[in-house]
Formats: sequence, C-alpha cells, structure tokens
Amino acid sequence: MNLKKYLTLTRAGIIEALQFRLSAFVMFAGNILYLIVVYFLWKAIYASAGTDVVNGMTFSDTLIYLVLATALYSFTEMYTVWEMGRAIQSGKIVLDLLKPMEYRSYLFWSYSGSFVTNFCTTFLPTFIAVCIVTHGAVPLGINLLYFAVSVVMAIVINYSIDYLVGTICLFTESIWGINIMKQVVVLLLSGATIPLAFFPDTLRRVAYFLPFQSIYNAPLTILLDRSARPETVLPVLGLQLFWCVFMVLLSKLFWKASLRQITVNGG
Amino acid sequence: MSSMIEIKNVTKEFKVLNRREGLKGSLKDLFSRDYKTVRAVDNISMTVEQGEIVGYLGPNGAGKSTTIKMMTGVLEPTSGEILVAGNVPYKNRTQNAQHIGVVFGQRTQLWWALPLVESFRILKDIYRISDADYDGMLKLYQSLVDIEPLLHKPVRQMSLGQRTLSDILAAFLHNPKIVFLDEPTIGLDVSMKAKIRTLIHALNEQKQTTVILTTHDMGDVDALCRRIVIIDKGKMLYDNDTEHLKSFFGAYRTLKIRVGGDLKEQAEQIGKHLPDCAVSADDEWISVLVNEEKQRVMDVLTQLQKEYRIRDMQLEEISTEDVIKKIYEEGVN
Repeated sequence: MNLKKYLTLTRAGIIEALQFRLSAFVMFAGNILYLIVVYFLWKAIYASAGTDVVNGMTFSDTLIYLVLATALYSFTEMYTVWEMGRAIQSGKIVLDLLKPMEYRSYLFWSYSGSFVTNFCTTFLPTFIAVCIVTHGAVPLGINLLYFAVSVVMAIVINYSIDYLVGTICLFTESIWGINIMKQVVVLLLSGATIPLAFFPDTLRRVAYFLPFQSIYNAPLTILLDRSARPETVLPVLGLQLFWCVFMVLLSKLFWKASLRQITVNGG
Repeated sequence: MSSMIEIKNVTKEFKVLNRREGLKGSLKDLFSRDYKTVRAVDNISMTVEQGEIVGYLGPNGAGKSTTIKMMTGVLEPTSGEILVAGNVPYKNRTQNAQHIGVVFGQRTQLWWALPLVESFRILKDIYRISDADYDGMLKLYQSLVDIEPLLHKPVRQMSLGQRTLSDILAAFLHNPKIVFLDEPTIGLDVSMKAKIRTLIHALNEQKQTTVILTTHDMGDVDALCRRIVIIDKGKMLYDNDTEHLKSFFGAYRTLKIRVGGDLKEQAEQIGKHLPDCAVSADDEWISVLVNEEKQRVMDVLTQLQKEYRIRDMQLEEISTEDVIKKIYEEGVN
C-alpha cells in the first residue's frame, strides 16, 4: 500500500481546516453552550433524585463522562453523509469516482485532516481541562493506550455506518431525513447524550447488542476505568473489533451492490 | 498507432419511473412499480486513434454525457463492448482512472479552499507522478500559459475562466492517454475561449493525448477538431472529418445582396425568379442560399444583376454551425 497518496489528503485537509478559523471558533463556542446546558440539566436531575448516586454514577461522574463524550463527538464526527449527499445531488461524485482510488478511501482520507485539527483544538484542550479541574478523576495510565486503540476502531465503525447511510442517497437522491434519523439513533444508542447506565434494563441490553455503543460508550468506559486490566478491557475491544470488521464489510458490499444499480444524475 | 477507444454496438437503457402529477399522483408514485425503459444510447460504434481530437456533438439530451460516462467507467453499458486504452472501463474503474483525465465544464475537481499549487501536489501524490514528470509538466504549462499568478491563488477566488483553465491543466497533469472535456468553454469570454483552445491544441500535440470534446460551441470544433461525431436521441448520425461535413450537404453558399426598396417584398420576388434557392430577408440583407451543384453562384449573381440594382454584396461560406444546425433539425437525410 502506498501510504503517501492517502497522507497527502490528510495534509490537504489540515491546511483546508486552517483556512476556516472562524468556523473553528464558532464550533468551540457552540460546544461550550451545549456543555452549560448539560451541566444545569443534570444538576436538576440529581437535585430531584434526592441522592448523590444515581444508577451507580455520581453527579461529577456523569458530568465528566458527558463532557468527554461531547469532546469525542466533535473530534470524530465526520459529516460523511452530508458530504456524500451533496456529491451525489450535484453530480460531483462522478469526478470523485474517477480518482485512481476507491471512493470510500478517498472520502475517508479527505476528511482525516479534520481529525488532526479537531483533536488538537477540541479534544485535547477539553481533556486537559477536565483532568485539571477534577484533580485526577480521570486515571492517567495504561488506559490511555487502550483508549487510543478504542477510538481508532470507534472512528472506523462510525465512518462505516455513515457510509452505509450515505449510500442510500444513491437511491433516494435526498438525504436530509435519513441523516437526521441516523444521528438521533446513533447519538442516543451510543451513549453520547445519556450514559448507558441511565437506560432502562431492557433498552440497555439491546444497546449492548448493537454496534452504536462501540462508538462512544466503549472508548469512554475504557478511558474512565480506574482499574483498567486486560481482563476487563479486552472483551470491550474485542466486541469493537467484531463490529469494526462487520460494518466495514457490510458498508463495502452495500456500496458495491448499489453502485451497480445507479445512474449518476446531472451532466 | 493503436486504437485508444473502441466502442462496439453499445446501448444504454435507463429505467425511469412513470411519474404522475399532483399530490395524489406523487403519493401513488411512492408505491408504483410502473417503470418505462428509456434508451439513452442506441447501438453506437466508433473507434478513436491515439492523438486524435474528436468533437462529440449533439443537441441537449442526445446521450453525449451518457456515452462519456460509459467511456470513463462510471456507467455500465446495457449491451455492447467498450475498450478504453485496452481496458474495460467499468470493470477496473480505479485502474482505468490512471489513464484518463476529465473536465466537466460546470464542476471542478480542484480543492476549493486551497491555492492551485496545493491541488496539483495532491494530484501528484494521488496519481503517483514522479518528481521529474511533475516538474516537466509544470514547465510545459508555464511555456503555454502564464500560470505563475494562478498557482498561488485559492481556487475559490478564481474567475470562471481561470478555474476552467486550471481544471484543464489538472486533468492533463498525470499525462493521461485520454482526456474527456465536457463543454470546457461554457460561459467563457471570447479571449478566454481562444486561450483554452490554444492550450488544448498544444497539449494534444505535445503529449499525443487523445481528446474527446463535447461542446455546443462550433468555434471549439472549427479550432480543434478534424473529426466529429454527431449523435441525437441516442443514435449516431454522423462520424467523419469536418471537411467532409460541408460537402455532405451539397456545396451550399450564401449570397447576400443589398437592394433598394422594401427588402421583404423584394425577397419574395427574387424567390419567384430563383425556384432552386432559399431566399430570406433581414433588416439589412437579402440572403440567397445557393446549392452550387445545381446552380453556380456567379450565374445567380448575373441573373440578379440584370433585374435589380445591387448596391452591395457578400458571399458567405456555409459555416459548421449552419450544417450542424441543419443536421440537428432535419437529420442526415
């Protein structure tokens, strides 16, 4: 594999992202606003519960989890579905298909530059801030390594789900509704908006059988696990790996089958 | 010389849903299985040799883009065979991409926010162009057009003309065997059009690149193409050189004369005198379309001179545009 042709896309993505400074600031401000809402919402929830520990999590546990989930979201979210929808509707996809590279890789690596910039501008600062403010509530040890592996797999799973949904656009030629639905399902069932511990038992069990929890719940659990041992971490990573392989294959097959069916519009 | 493109009896059909009108109809359409088959390309065959520039013409909706998409491998033909640079394009689209370049007039493949040179560097890595080839190509570009000011300008700040020029340079960058240009001069001013024509001509000559050019601008055809292919409603109407095209429709020439009095009335009278010619009048001229196989222009002129006081005259060769228009409207026969 010639890595250079992929990394050049990453590099372009970084330069491109740096051109739009204002959008980075606006996104940052938006995240802060969201976190303020989260803070007061959960404060009210804990106040009305009357106890310090709800579903095995204290207020600060919950808050740390959600702050990191938000940071992780703004770092890994790829907007692949929008990108594909736009390319398909405008017909630009024809040009992308004619690159000497699979469309799937082309799209992924074109976006990968944002991982680097978003990691540096949102996730890393948030993570450091959380560590300082909470005086070591986040364990810093081997779990960081597990976390890194976990996040990479989470990104791949998330991308595959996006790619799968984006492929549907080849048939519908409109993507708005489908994408909104996807976003709600993913954000809820992955534990990005509400920790899975707060789910009713049945729903939680269902959620564990779905790929979504591997995107946010799995890496965050690993990161916040104070006693990270191979016996507890490996099953989580194993499950992620399974979904990784499964979703990649599924989205690839679906794309391949769909592409045969399509007529590319425009032109 | 080997054939770059071989197309044999290619047909492409689309299934289109029969849409109904109104809200009720739209709701019914959600569950409809009522498809009709549209034949966008109907039994087309042609062979293109290396280094040729072929004008691919036809009215809007004739099936040009569909053919191009099949040649690039984005669409699979319903039946028939296509070979592009020895490959079946839709089977190994990704490998095939290495040998072809495309420009679609209204879209850009360049990186919107970045200076042009960054787009070139990305393409260099994606297409795995060696440093020597890349530098050589940039030098060639520099000798053909003044690209230095363009290189450091973000694509989004370019004018349409500059962007199209850049897109063409980008399509040729990896020295492909074939370049497909889909309406490259659409919406450009006269001087930019001329610049782009010169560029395409030079690149074709220097690199022996085969070029398939679709356009509605006959200026492009006159400047670049020695051979044209015309299709309409998916069917091939004409495939030959442009010289042949003119004689194909008889040796038509237009004689324009200016006489005194009301031009419309005069034109009618002249029409009666010359039953073999089509006579029409505008605000300034009376035009007489003469078929030289039947009647010589000189004879017509002498005849007219006997009866009318001709103040001024012009002789026009029939233009490619006129011929194409005639083909679009009437077909070959």
